[in-house]
Amino acid sequence: MLEAFIYVSFIAFISGTVLPLLCRSKNARKASFGLSLLSSILLLVFAGTVLYTGKGPTFPVFRFLPGLDFTLVADRLSAGFILLIAAVVSGVSIYSIEYVEHAKSEARKSLQASLTNLFILAMLMVVLAGNMVGFLVFWEIMSLSSLMLVLHDYSSEENKKAGLFYFIMTSLSTAFLFMGFISLFRLTDSAEFGPLDYSTNDLTLPFLCLFTGFGIKAGLVPFHKWLPYAHPAAPSSISALMSGVMLKVAIYGFLRFLLSVSAPELWWGTLILMVGSLSAVLGVIYALKESDIKRLLAYSSIENIGIIFTGIGLYLIFKLEGLQYLALLSLAGACFHAFNHALFKSLLFLCAGSVVHATGTRNIEALGGLVKSMPHTAALFLIGSVSIVGLPPTSGFVSEMMLFQAYFYSSAVPDPLLKVLLIITLSVFALTSALAATLFVKIFGITFLALPRTKCAQEAAEVPKPMLLGEAVPAAFCILSGLFSSQILNLLGFDLGIPDMLPLGLILAGACGIVWLVVRNSGPTKARISKETWGCGILAQHPTMEYSSAGFSEPLVVIFKKIYRTEISSTRTYSDTRESIFKNGTARMYLIKVFEKRLYLPVASAVSHVSSQVSRMQSGKLDTYVLYVFIAVLTLMTFTRYFA
Amino acid sequence: MIFSFLADPEFLEGIIRILFVFVLITAAFTLSTRNIASLLTVYAVQSLLLVLIASFLYMIEGNQTLLAIAALTLVSKVLLIPLFINLIGEKIKISRDLKFNYLEPTASLLVSIGLILLAYVFLSGFFSEYILGKLFFIGAVIGLSLTLMGMLVIFSRKKVITKVIGYLTMENGVLLFGIFVADLPFIIEILIVIDLMILVLLTTILAIGLDSTREEYHQRLQTLKIWSGRED
Repeated sequence: MLEAFIYVSFIAFISGTVLPLLCRSKNARKASFGLSLLSSILLLVFAGTVLYTGKGPTFPVFRFLPGLDFTLVADRLSAGFILLIAAVVSGVSIYSIEYVEHAKSEARKSLQASLTNLFILAMLMVVLAGNMVGFLVFWEIMSLSSLMLVLHDYSSEENKKAGLFYFIMTSLSTAFLFMGFISLFRLTDSAEFGPLDYSTNDLTLPFLCLFTGFGIKAGLVPFHKWLPYAHPAAPSSISALMSGVMLKVAIYGFLRFLLSVSAPELWWGTLILMVGSLSAVLGVIYALKESDIKRLLAYSSIENIGIIFTGIGLYLIFKLEGLQYLALLSLAGACFHAFNHALFKSLLFLCAGSVVHATGTRNIEALGGLVKSMPHTAALFLIGSVSIVGLPPTSGFVSEMMLFQAYFYSSAVPDPLLKVLLIITLSVFALTSALAATLFVKIFGITFLALPRTKCAQEAAEVPKPMLLGEAVPAAFCILSGLFSSQILNLLGFDLGIPDMLPLGLILAGACGIVWLVVRNSGPTKARISKETWGCGILAQHPTMEYSSAGFSEPLVVIFKKIYRTEISSTRTYSDTRESIFKNGTARMYLIKVFEKRLYLPVASAVSHVSSQVSRMQSGKLDTYVLYVFIAVLTLMTFTRYFA
Repeated sequence: MIFSFLADPEFLEGIIRILFVFVLITAAFTLSTRNIASLLTVYAVQSLLLVLIASFLYMIEGNQTLLAIAALTLVSKVLLIPLFINLIGEKIKISRDLKFNYLEPTASLLVSIGLILLAYVFLSGFFSEYILGKLFFIGAVIGLSLTLMGMLVIFSRKKVITKVIGYLTMENGVLLFGIFVADLPFIIEILIVIDLMILVLLTTILAIGLDSTREEYHQRLQTLKIWSGRED
């Protein structure tokens, strides 16, 4: 019975993919997103049931080539991620009905609707795949469909670069996954995901390959550079899906591997913890310097992925140190944070999409005062911001608290070196949380408060209702999953001693209500302005007097100067030959793209160099190729004779 | 009976060994001969030697397939294929293939001695002389080296027509190997011959229709050199 939900949603997504291609009309696109909305509701029911009962349906084996079976598995781990997918997709589908209509041409609108459905389907199937073959096939479909969506506005030079960058990184990720899976296959002689009772020596290579592969896709430092390029290029609904869901699919894959290993090693946990902490803090530090709203959110995703990996690292460390309760708390915290991040990040990206749609710019320096012209969007964005910085009683608070709690109890770890590491990463984690709060004060304040800085911000108008409704869905999820977090975790059988958020929420709501009533009833009923306050000689308030985005983050930029690595370059010309009378010159101050300059470009040029060396073999003469075959045969003969 | 010695296996084996030597000599000729007409003759003679080897082996073993192979080889490789290639040679008016790639004839001959040694060492790792029987082992070695020498001809000679003969020599090597070791089913032998016929026909079309030295073909392959961006 339960498996019918999956089949129906599969068919619905396929129809949603094909329909807009067959018929390029607004109604077809509406139907397409309606179908994905329907499937997301079905999937919510499915995932909820599996999570609650702990038992998934059994699916028949699909054989698409002899020896290549495709199996589906729905256990609690995959059900948790299906729930995440469904929650985000429900909001994105409603939002996209209206949003997609703003694309440039009829063809692009339909293509975007079709590819969105395909993208969602691929992510769903990756999570449901029971063996490596299916996993990789749908992983590739997921990567390629998202690539095409990133390139939807392919005429712009910037987007082309973003697409190329994304393509290279995602291919690299798949290559590492292939290596990891092949080495697992050699070990187990089976393509199924099953328990891995092997010594860690055998599992080192698969672990490193899979950690790198999934890390690239999830956007861990130093493989994160594709995120700040791809997100601004993609349509906002797709950014919401990519950041909200696709990054989590990578985390799902990594967890699927990690949880099946019976005897992991301590250094795995330390590595994951260190990389996670580094990603978290660097992500938020880089975000502070940005003023492109979508790029900023992309950096914030890197930060949150870092937090999730921190949780996974803690889980491994505590598990190996024999602290079962803390291990469970960290793992649950990581998974819950993944779920929450999916919700609030998709909410924030959708709101950012609305802002960009209304004002036509992504630069927050050009915005301001939108709270008056777009009050609903502003309120929804505020919910997302409050949630992401982890203020009670929203969901973000609960998951971050779980991780903090795990950290606080970690004094039980006997190993002194490990203790030092945990204290250092804890302080990094605390710094990250504080900086995240600064970051979202900045985004919300600069974008929505004060006076509009430019004409486009002045003329902005609230977005259509379906878009608001689409944003409201994840916002509601954010608040509800926060308020009922302890109940939800208890219902799932995790008795972790999480404080009940519901009374706190009620107290906060009551306090707000009281404040509102007091202000309303005791304040003056009529505004009396006799004279303008003396403004020290300033005749009127002007937007240029406002705190700017760069100004707001300047103190932090000074503190983290070493990390930003700004470079100042200048050129000068002189009127005389002795260079003493200055004629004119230019000076430029810019951020060094450290990772691009020190890591990506050297690797790229090394690959290019090797390729050009290899291409010397490509002489273009038939005889040479035959000669290669001849030499290969002789080598093979010698090899088989003496070594095989 | 005058021909009673033909029933003596030891005598027949001796003959076959002499034929092996002749086969090697023809291979050496294929590597070094510049005149196309002589190349063809060498090929026909080589095929004829195979026919003889198969026939003598039939006398020793009494396997009907060997006789069928001998007959098929006689018709296709001794008569038909040389006839076809002769036709091509007349049409494109090429009588000599003077140029060599990578290896000059002397070097080729030296390399082919190395090849025979390599084939011997390689095969001795798989079947020892005693399991297979000395004659059969030598047959396998000669077959394998003939195949490798055929490949040597393909890349060391310039003209298409010579390359085709190199390919045919390779196939002769496979046949020889098959007779002595692998015991190829007859049907596969027929299929290989049909393949060869098609190859020769295709060469006819290519050689006459396009260009006899494949210069144009080379130019098309040049476009593959996108990486280095070199012009040569």
